[in-house]
Amino acid sequence: MSAGLQHYLDVAQRFQAEQAETAPLWLRALREEGLAQLSRQGFPTPRHEDWKYTDVAPIVSRGFAPVGAGRSVDLKARVEQLALPGPRLVFVDGRHSPELSSLEGLYEGVTVKSLRVAVREDAEALEAVLGRRARAEAHPFTALNAALLEEGAFVQVRPGAVAPSPVQLFFLASGAGAAPVLASPRIVVVAGENSEAALVELYAGVEGGASFTNAVTEVVLGDNARLHHYKLQAEPDAAFHLASLHARLSRDSSLTSHAFALGGALARNEVYSVFAGEGGECVLNGLYVGHGTQHLDNRTDLDHAVPRCTSRELYKGVLDDRARGTFHGRVLVRQDAQRTDASQTNRNLLLSEEALVDTRPQLEILADDVKCAHGAAVGRLDEQALFYLRARGIPRAEAERLLTYAFASEVVGAVKLEPLRARVEQLLAGRLPGGARREVGA
Amino acid sequence: MLLSVRNLHARIGDKEILKGINLELKPGEVHAIMGPNGSGKSTLSQVLAGRETYKVTQGEVLFEGKDLLALTPEQRAVAGVFLAFQYPVEIPGVGNLHFLRTALNAQRRSRGLEELDAMDFLSLAKERMKLVQMDQGFLNRSVNEGFSGGEKKRNEVFQMAVLQPRLAILDETDSGLDIDALRIVAGGVNALRSKERGMLVITHYQRLLDYIVPDKVHVMAGGRIVMSGGKELALELEKKGYAWVEKLGPAAGREART
Ligand SMILES: Nc1ncnc2c1ncn2[C@@H]1O[C@H](COP(=O)(O)OP(=O)(O)OP(=O)(O)O)[C@@H](O)[C@H]1O
Ligand SMILES: [Mg+2]
Repeated sequence: MSAGLQHYLDVAQRFQAEQAETAPLWLRALREEGLAQLSRQGFPTPRHEDWKYTDVAPIVSRGFAPVGAGRSVDLKARVEQLALPGPRLVFVDGRHSPELSSLEGLYEGVTVKSLRVAVREDAEALEAVLGRRARAEAHPFTALNAALLEEGAFVQVRPGAVAPSPVQLFFLASGAGAAPVLASPRIVVVAGENSEAALVELYAGVEGGASFTNAVTEVVLGDNARLHHYKLQAEPDAAFHLASLHARLSRDSSLTSHAFALGGALARNEVYSVFAGEGGECVLNGLYVGHGTQHLDNRTDLDHAVPRCTSRELYKGVLDDRARGTFHGRVLVRQDAQRTDASQTNRNLLLSEEALVDTRPQLEILADDVKCAHGAAVGRLDEQALFYLRARGIPRAEAERLLTYAFASEVVGAVKLEPLRARVEQLLAGRLPGGARREVGA
Repeated sequence: MLLSVRNLHARIGDKEILKGINLELKPGEVHAIMGPNGSGKSTLSQVLAGRETYKVTQGEVLFEGKDLLALTPEQRAVAGVFLAFQYPVEIPGVGNLHFLRTALNAQRRSRGLEELDAMDFLSLAKERMKLVQMDQGFLNRSVNEGFSGGEKKRNEVFQMAVLQPRLAILDETDSGLDIDALRIVAGGVNALRSKERGMLVITHYQRLLDYIVPDKVHVMAGGRIVMSGGKELALELEKKGYAWVEKLGPAAGREART
């Protein structure tokens, strides 16, 4: 066994021993299963097909560990500056901070609780979902998350509730302290029948100590429920970030996921969506923008398990310098899933000779009465467009920026939440060539 | 002299396209350039605008006495060179209004002038659009995206009206225009004629020159200017066709067909 794996097993074992007294039985079982699975699977190496392009050795070899409770860092100004307006739960280095959180303005049909509180107060509802979508046996980092399960959020939307404003979960890496910090948030969302709600996951950080975020989100949508899920990962360029979203869509429900991956030395975002009832609709939008030596990995897995569902997927990547991106998107249309309508597009823009991208759309169609389209492209800035802009007096660097921004705008423009869109635009402006690259989280 | 082109040679890859162009344009003058397909008219206009895919191998170009070829495309634009493209480029995702304001402000900045804010620019744009009777709806669309052929050409002349260049090169701005649009766009171009501004108008059709009456007409063939004359030359060409040029300049004519 590698020393790296041993470290994480030790950390999890110690954590579980400390918590053994207070945790309810079901939670203990979940954690223990996580630990057992991690021990059994170990961490992936590039020899694993799923991790061929993403080497997690820099994470595994570094001794990331959760921070102790009760550490306080004064981040009020920071949070006010970075958080979007509206009700929010704030987590600093993975720990829920009640002082920085505020649920003022929360719509009455929506309940938001820190996971620790929910374990006490809503055990039954939580237990019914937690760990059911995101299975520890399927993924070593889901197993690690389960083994250290403590912090996170439980969001419930009452049947029929239509919440106009989003709930925000804000994860901030403080950069304080010398030890490498591991945050393992688990987010559980249960949207009742005929409800509509929006959730924002915002990840940011302060430049400083090393951080590793290992997040898992589980979403269950009732019949005819709609959820708009936004994830903005804008951590410092040195951060490590692995995350997965697991969604189950019941009859006529709809999930719209917008995933922005801007920060991180190594960041991987996975989305798994399963249609479990007919008439469902799933929209997956993604944008990854890397420079320097960033490595941004995107996985999506859409399971058309039942007939008459629609999926629309658009992921775009912009890679500069020696950055590397990957997109692996699987769409599975099972034999019974007649009248499926699925489209998947991945487009990449390479801004330098050394930037690389690996794109692998994977359509598996087992039904015959379906409408499926897919496309993947890797290109550079259009030389003719560049000349057209320059011939009008726009300097080369500015012209490149304009075209790059235009490329990304298709995904950014799909964000209906105005403050979030403005934030993404601002962040993007700071990260495109010629921009102020040092910007962090703002 | 506004523009002096002397013995200009340019190639793409191994293929020489411009084979010794000579041209002198004074401020206030309008010169028409005609010539068969593939004779190098667009190449000349792109070389003047600074397209890097063409390599200049010989000759020089002076713009207001300064070496134009030493400048980048954007520097040429700032100096006052404007090319209305034969095939305007579609740029999805970049708004027409934003694009043009960025262009004007980039030019103004380089000239040490104050930039225009969004409000001032909008009123300027609206005023200049009238010149080519363009609908304001085009401001909110992406640059040339989904524009019809004629709409693209109008958009080029609209940009020229906003940027107010010293030298305008109009590469087949008339092709793709219906008869009414031709009259309107030509009217717009005429309104931009002034004694400081020079224009090179590339066209295949004498009809445009009924509206935009040139001071001189040049005929290009095989990468050279093989004949120059007054505005009557265009009429004569229309009647006699390019075979006539071939007869007068056999060497040039032959090259024009290769
Ligand atoms: N990028 C290129 N690669 C190869 N050949 C080129 C390229 N650009 C131009 N040429 C060639 O150079 C010659 C001149 O082309 P150019 O576009 O300048 O002609 P033109 O006079 O503008 O013709 P038209 O009247 O059809 O617009 C043509 O034979 C053309 O095929
Ligand atoms: Mg041409």
